[in-house]
Amino acid sequence: MEKEKETAARKRGEMAHRKTSGSKLLMTVLYMVAACSAIPISDLLDRASQRSDTLHSLSATLTQELDSHFPPIGRMIMPRPSMCHTSSLQTPIDKEQALQVSESDLLSLARSLLQAWVDPLVVLSTSANTLPHPAQSNISNKIQELQQHSKNLGDGLDILSGKMGPAAQTISLLPYRGGNDIGQDKISKLTNFHFLLSCFRRDSHKIDSFLKVLRCRAAKMLPEMC
Amino acid sequence: MLCARMRRDVGLVLLLLLSAAVKCNSMSPPGKPVLLGCRSPEKETFTCWWEPGSDGGLPTTHRLFYERERLEGTHECPDYRSEGRNSCFFDKNYTSIWVDYCLTVVASNALGNATSDPFKMEVMEIVKPNAPENVTLLVEDREDSPCLHVKWERPHKIDTKSGWVTIKYELRVKQENSDQWKEYMSGKQTHISLYSVSPGVVYEVQVRCRLDHGFWSEWSNSTCVKIPNYLQTERPFWLLVSTLFAIPFLAAICILVMKRKRVKQCVLPPVPGPKIRGVDVQLLKSGRSEDVLNALIINQDFPLMVTWKDQIEDYLIVTENDEELLPHPSNSQKRKKSLIIPAGFCLDSEIQCKESTASQSDTEKAGERKNEKDNFLKSNTSLSGESSSNTVPPLLPTQKQQCPSLNLVNTEATDQSPSDHQNAVKPFANSSYVDIQRHVKQVDYSKVKEVNGDNILLLKKENVPLNSSGYMDDQRQENISEDYSRVKEVDSDNMVFLQKQNVSVDISCRDKSNHYTDCPPQKPRNPRVTGPNTERTESGYVDTVPAPPLM
Repeated sequence: MEKEKETAARKRGEMAHRKTSGSKLLMTVLYMVAACSAIPISDLLDRASQRSDTLHSLSATLTQELDSHFPPIGRMIMPRPSMCHTSSLQTPIDKEQALQVSESDLLSLARSLLQAWVDPLVVLSTSANTLPHPAQSNISNKIQELQQHSKNLGDGLDILSGKMGPAAQTISLLPYRGGNDIGQDKISKLTNFHFLLSCFRRDSHKIDSFLKVLRCRAAKMLPEMC
Repeated sequence: MLCARMRRDVGLVLLLLLSAAVKCNSMSPPGKPVLLGCRSPEKETFTCWWEPGSDGGLPTTHRLFYERERLEGTHECPDYRSEGRNSCFFDKNYTSIWVDYCLTVVASNALGNATSDPFKMEVMEIVKPNAPENVTLLVEDREDSPCLHVKWERPHKIDTKSGWVTIKYELRVKQENSDQWKEYMSGKQTHISLYSVSPGVVYEVQVRCRLDHGFWSEWSNSTCVKIPNYLQTERPFWLLVSTLFAIPFLAAICILVMKRKRVKQCVLPPVPGPKIRGVDVQLLKSGRSEDVLNALIINQDFPLMVTWKDQIEDYLIVTENDEELLPHPSNSQKRKKSLIIPAGFCLDSEIQCKESTASQSDTEKAGERKNEKDNFLKSNTSLSGESSSNTVPPLLPTQKQQCPSLNLVNTEATDQSPSDHQNAVKPFANSSYVDIQRHVKQVDYSKVKEVNGDNILLLKKENVPLNSSGYMDDQRQENISEDYSRVKEVDSDNMVFLQKQNVSVDISCRDKSNHYTDCPPQKPRNPRVTGPNTERTESGYVDTVPAPPLM
């Protein structure tokens, strides 16, 4: 009899303990969600601009590396950058114009540009494996890094856009129509590769600049951020 | 015919000369200019420079034309003057980013034009800021080591507030005499502190900056500073002071160590221990107990009772009849010494020591007694000495009262006839006397009352006083005399003649019939203990071996 009473008491105690622990868990989850959403936009923008900075520096070094072994004559026959697939996007071209664009539009532009380069980066990555270039392996590695950083930045910008209103959510589609093949012969391959990379370098610089402007605007109370 | 040919040759020669003359004057179309490059200091404006070719001897003008992406037509440079010769300055209005520019320079003179190669560029690629301005150095004098604070200003016209550009700085430091530069990154700050500077050295500092991923600027002009030397001079001073203090300190410690015993005495004085007056610690330490005891005794007034028992055991006096003994004048004279002094000699608690009946002689006797005692005492080897003599006199007066009529066996009465004498004093031979214990309260021993001729030793019993006062008159003597055998004579042959009691005993004895058993027979007898038969036992008792009478 006593033993039964004891077990019953113990069970009751366990039930109570579970209830309390369950409620505690719920509270913890709620708290964490609240804490997560409490990261200020300026912090998020700071992280994003750091990522874009890295992205741009990578693309710049890659272009330099490619140019080092490129015959100067080839530059003449290079297609003009205005023929980049993202050139149709209307972006500010000087400082004053850029400062007049709203934050949501700036973010939208950045996201659109980033989205437009997802496919071409894949093409670059595949063609880098067979690129007739002395620094082919380095280039190939860096292309892969570019892809990684680009994806990370895209995810971050998606989160940011969620906090900045509906205008930031719109993305202009800029499809890449170059196809998977960048050329048959060595010259055309190199030329096309170089052309794509230069386009990417410009677009990454645009993204970087836009995000840095956004960062400065968001951190008005912290001038050292700019 | 010949003249025509000569004219033609002369004409050719002249033509050649003319052309040569023309060439010597260098009038030609200009050479092709070369575009050197462009630069944007803040990503808002840019400037391009070219190098002109030969001018052809004629005044040549250069014009720059550009074409821009997203801009129709060919345009000319808006500003040829701001940046000097052979430059073209594009201000904000004409500067666009993320668009390509194609530049060409055309040189032209009276004779012709020359066009340079096209130069493609993008503003993004040509960003190179100016060097930072107003580099200032400040030396801070801290306790451990000096510190160098470097401050500078951002190059003017660079807009970092809007975020259009982000700037990064770099600093390099070198000592004046060396060629090694040390570089430090500063980030966005316009100041930096250097802690690894040595005093007395001149330092050179330069700063440069960069915008985003553009080119680094040129290094700023060197700014020099000398770290002052005064910090070092302080140290020797303190070193000197500390050594000056250390020397007397060490000396004091040495002295303390050497004289530590004295210091210990001063600081921790020994606690005085207990001291007994009269006791010499050294004597105690030496371990000779006899001396210690001597010392103790001198200081205190109690007599030693050590040999008391010995004395009792030593001596035994047996009395005899006086008549039979030869009167010996010498003996009588020596009676003084040899007599047993009954006075002060109490056999029992009840029986008091007697004194002489003669009142006159009492005091004298007492005095003499005392003398006798003294003599006895002196001959006594006991340690009682003075102490006993001191104690005796007080006894005498009391005894005198208590024992009024007792006769004293006194040596004084040398002239006394035996009959007068109630004392059974007999002349004594010169002898060594037996000491009488004054304080004898001899209960333990049975006193020899009589030595029978038949070799029977009669022990005396307790005496009962007969007188009204409770004391026996004659018995006193007899008691005394019966306790001890008086040595009458000591022969040269080591024979001890013992004396016995005489007449007076009779009287007393009669009355004491109860207590005396062998009183009467005691008198006539004259036991004499001769020497050979007398033996002194080891215990000191004189065994009264009945000897054949010498008669």
